[in-house]
This record gives sequence, structure tokens and C-alpha cells, in this order.
Amino acid sequence: MKRRLNIWLVSAGLALLMAAAMLVCSTMGVVRFDRTELLQSPIFWNLRLPRVVLSVLVGAALSVCGATYQSVFRNPLTDPYVLGISSGASLGAAIAIVLGLQSYLWGVGAMALMTALLTILLIFKVASTGNRMHTTTLLLTGVCLTFLITAAISLLMALHQDKMESIIFWTMGSFASASWMDVTIVLPVTLLGIGVVLYYSKDLNLLLTGSETAQSLGVEVEKVRRRLLLFTTLMVAFSVSACGVIGFVGLVVPHCIRLVCGSDNRRIIPYSIFVGGIFLLLCDTVARTLIPPNELPVGSITSLLGAPMFIYLLYKSKRRI
Amino acid sequence: MIEVKNLSYSYGKKEILRDLSFTIGDGTFTAILGANGSGKTTLLRCIAGLTAAQQGHIDIDGQAIGSYNARERARKVALVQQHPQTDLEFSAFETVLMGRNPYQRHLQNESKADWDIVEQVMRQTNTFHLRFSLPGEMSGGELQRVMIARALAQQTPYLLLDEPTSSLDIAHQFEIMELLTDINRNEGKTILIVVHDLNLALRYCPETILLYDKSLLFKGSTKEALVNERIQKAFGVSSENIGGYLKFDSANRKEC
Repeated sequence: MKRRLNIWLVSAGLALLMAAAMLVCSTMGVVRFDRTELLQSPIFWNLRLPRVVLSVLVGAALSVCGATYQSVFRNPLTDPYVLGISSGASLGAAIAIVLGLQSYLWGVGAMALMTALLTILLIFKVASTGNRMHTTTLLLTGVCLTFLITAAISLLMALHQDKMESIIFWTMGSFASASWMDVTIVLPVTLLGIGVVLYYSKDLNLLLTGSETAQSLGVEVEKVRRRLLLFTTLMVAFSVSACGVIGFVGLVVPHCIRLVCGSDNRRIIPYSIFVGGIFLLLCDTVARTLIPPNELPVGSITSLLGAPMFIYLLYKSKRRI
Repeated sequence: MIEVKNLSYSYGKKEILRDLSFTIGDGTFTAILGANGSGKTTLLRCIAGLTAAQQGHIDIDGQAIGSYNARERARKVALVQQHPQTDLEFSAFETVLMGRNPYQRHLQNESKADWDIVEQVMRQTNTFHLRFSLPGEMSGGELQRVMIARALAQQTPYLLLDEPTSSLDIAHQFEIMELLTDINRNEGKTILIVVHDLNLALRYCPETILLYDKSLLFKGSTKEALVNERIQKAFGVSSENIGGYLKFDSANRKEC
């Protein structure tokens, strides 16, 4: 009871913080305005605001997905990027572009979803031995799939040089072309996905204790796991189809929360929404304001923070592997 | 009542259990005994509903185990596994609280009643003073008691345990077995336990299911089960019962 109140209070605080960060970040940029100019400027309304909103949505989605994968695979080192699911989605996006599906509202996302689901099925087939997935096998599978997919995308680019630029965009990850259209595509999927994960957040705790234990404690393990993976993959696919592959968000954010609040997913999941949103928003703001008028790819900033974190976690969990 | 009828189980092409039939009455304390590979753990997993047998069926309180959904099953049967996980970041209290899951809805938090039950079972298993400890900070015996507390928090009529004492020293083995005896006597809970140590079974478990070569060799009182003739057949060593304590002789060991 008290715990529940606390979760609501902290979530509300984080939501306020996120709103404040969105306001501040949307005033920052190469073109500077005073207050009245800002509200009349199409740069603010049509470029910055959708970009800020999209980065928050994608940050929230990727963080929640990372936290979910860490519990479902019982492995602290997983996130959509490390597992190769983001790359899998980017392959679908690239294929959709080659086929000219961008003109359809959900075209790129649907194709990305298909290849992302294929990727996760492959990971399951290759990495699972009996009930347990070994950390090394799981990570190696992810890395190898990423290699394979990168090669496939290069091949696609070589064969379709006219579309090369838009494909490169998908593999690098950037919010530079964010539009309200992207927001309308990503928003419902993200809300739906986060809702499903929140609904199962207690089951995530039980899954952490092992699938047999979870089952004997009353969790329909197979059903819950399948649903969680389906809806998180959906979120990853649509994030990737809107802004490309952005790595390590799902690793950094849940772990920072875990350091402060422990490993109860009933806290981690709701906090991940807001902390993830703020994190990616700040990364993107740095990416577009650090060396004006040029932009850094936001994926390189998240990787600069995330890769060392990954190495630290690997070092810390060495005994368990 | 647990009724097992003509149960056969195979893992791939390998036969694990062959045509088992027996009944476990309410309020009994039964050991499952047998040599390595005789199918003890598989039998327990089948009864716990973790895996489905290819042939035959298991009824719990007159209803097939497979027809319960996971929540219903978790209110009927609780399982304590052989090796508790030690790398989790949940405190003992949070761990035991997970035993209340089958009574909670999604998005619903623990009620005061859940907290009271958890405190009560932790006091019963003498783990309440450990409530803030993480699994890595507890000894093997303490952790196993926490696991038993979690199973008790499920408030099931049936409690299944898979060699809960296998990694404990002798004093802690006695401690766990005495705790289970209390639970069986005072609450009338039906207990089914896989035991490795025949003397432990003889000392604490009134009933025995003795497995040999994938099938049932004997079902009845433990004293009758553990006579030299049966021990020789099931385990391949000869034994002598000296004042209620089995003394084994490895000289007569046969290949089995």
C-alpha cells in the first residue's frame, strides 16, 4: 500500500521532470528565439517539438524493452541492441525502402516488425538449451546476427545505390528527420507496448527466479513470455522504423534505476518510461547542439555512455558467466 | 488426494518412468526413494504439473493436474526445488511474498493479509530475522528455509520437495526434516519429498514410494520398504537395520 503510493509519487515526479526537460530542450538549438518568436515559429512547431516528443517516446520504449529483456532472458547484459533485435528491425526497414513502402503509413514499421520477430525467433532457437539460456551463447548469437544483418544491409545498399542515403540513416540512428507523422505512428504502439509490460511487471519479477519456479508460483510462463516478447519487439520495430538503430538505451537506463531502487520490476518498468525518455532526449539535444551547425548521430552518444556500462556489467557479472 | 494412474514418461526416446500407479492420501508424509536415474525428480515434476507425461494421468483432488491453470495449480501444489537460486537481488521477505502471487491479480499489490501470512510463515520457519537478507548473504540451510517459507505462503494442501537437504550438513538436514514433520503434524499438510539419504527417510517419513528401474517397486510404510531385500534390489547394496538405523555393506555391491 505504502509502496504503491511511493511508486505513484516517484513516477509523477519523474513525469514532471520529463515535461520540464522537454520544454527546456525544445528552446535549445542553432536558431535562437525569444519567447514570443518561439511560439510563432514553424521551426519550433514542426521541427523541434516533434523531434523532442519522438526522442522521449523512443527513449521510453527502448528502456522498457531493455528492462523486459533483462528479466525474460534472466540476463543483465541484454537490450534490444545487444541482442541484435534493433538490427533485425533495421533490415526490415531497409527492405521496405527498397520496395518503396515508405509511402504507406505503417509499411516500414510492419516490415521492420517482421524481421525483428524473425531475429528473436532465431535467437531463441540458437541460444536456448533446455530451460536456460547461457549468457555467452545469448550474447554471441546477438553479435553474430548483427554482423549478418549489417552485411545484408550493405548488400542491399550496393544493389540499390539510389536509396543508399535513406538506408544509411536507418543503420546510424538519428532524430534529424523527425516529423509529426513519425510521432503519430510511434505513439500508439509505444503506449500499447508499455501498457502490456506494466500489466505483467509482477510476472517479470517471478520470471527472474527461473521459468520452473515462476510456473509453480502461478505464472503461465510460456504465454506471458510470448506476449512480452511480441509487444516489446513491436515497440523496437516501430522505434527503429522512425529513427533507426540507437544502441544501449535499454541497458543504461534500467541499470541506473536498479542501482538506486533495487530489482523490483514494479518500480523499474514505470521509472524506465520517464528516465528513458529524459535520457534519450538529453542525448539527442547534445547531438544536435554540441557542434552547431553540424549534428552528431545520437546513436554514437548513447554508445559512448552505454558501451563502457556494458563492459562494467560484464566485469561485475564475470563470476556468474 | 493425489492419484497417479499408469503414468509413463519419456524424454525424447529415453524412457524415464514406466507404468506407475499409486495413491497418496491426505495428510501423509511420503518419501520418494530410488537410485540415481530411477525417475524420482521426474515423478515429482509431473505431480507438480511442470511437465506432462505422455501416458497415464495424475489427478489432484479428483481433477487432472493438466486441467488446472497455473494460478489454480499454484494454490494446490507448492514445490521446493533442489538448488535455490543464489544470484537474485530480492530480499528474503520479497522472496516469500512471491508465494502469495497465485492469490493476487495483475497490477494488484500485496494486501495486509498477504503481509501477515508472510510474517507468520517466516516466523514458523525461523527466517523472520533474515527478512532483509539477500540470497547471497544467507547460508544454504537458511536459504532452503526461506524457500520452504515461500512454499508455505502459497497455502497449498500439498507440498512437494526435491531433495531439499542435499547440500546441507547433518544438523541442518535434521532441522529441515523436523520443520517438515511439524508442518505435516500440526497443519495436516500432505508432504511428498524426494530423499537421497535412506536413514533420513526412515527417521522422518512414515510412508515411502520406492522406485526401481523406472517403475514402482514398493509403496507403503517406510519400515517395510527399507528391508534388506528391497534395498538390495533398488540400490544394489546390502544393509542391516540396527535399532532403526541402516548400516550398509558395500562389499556385496552389485552392478546395477
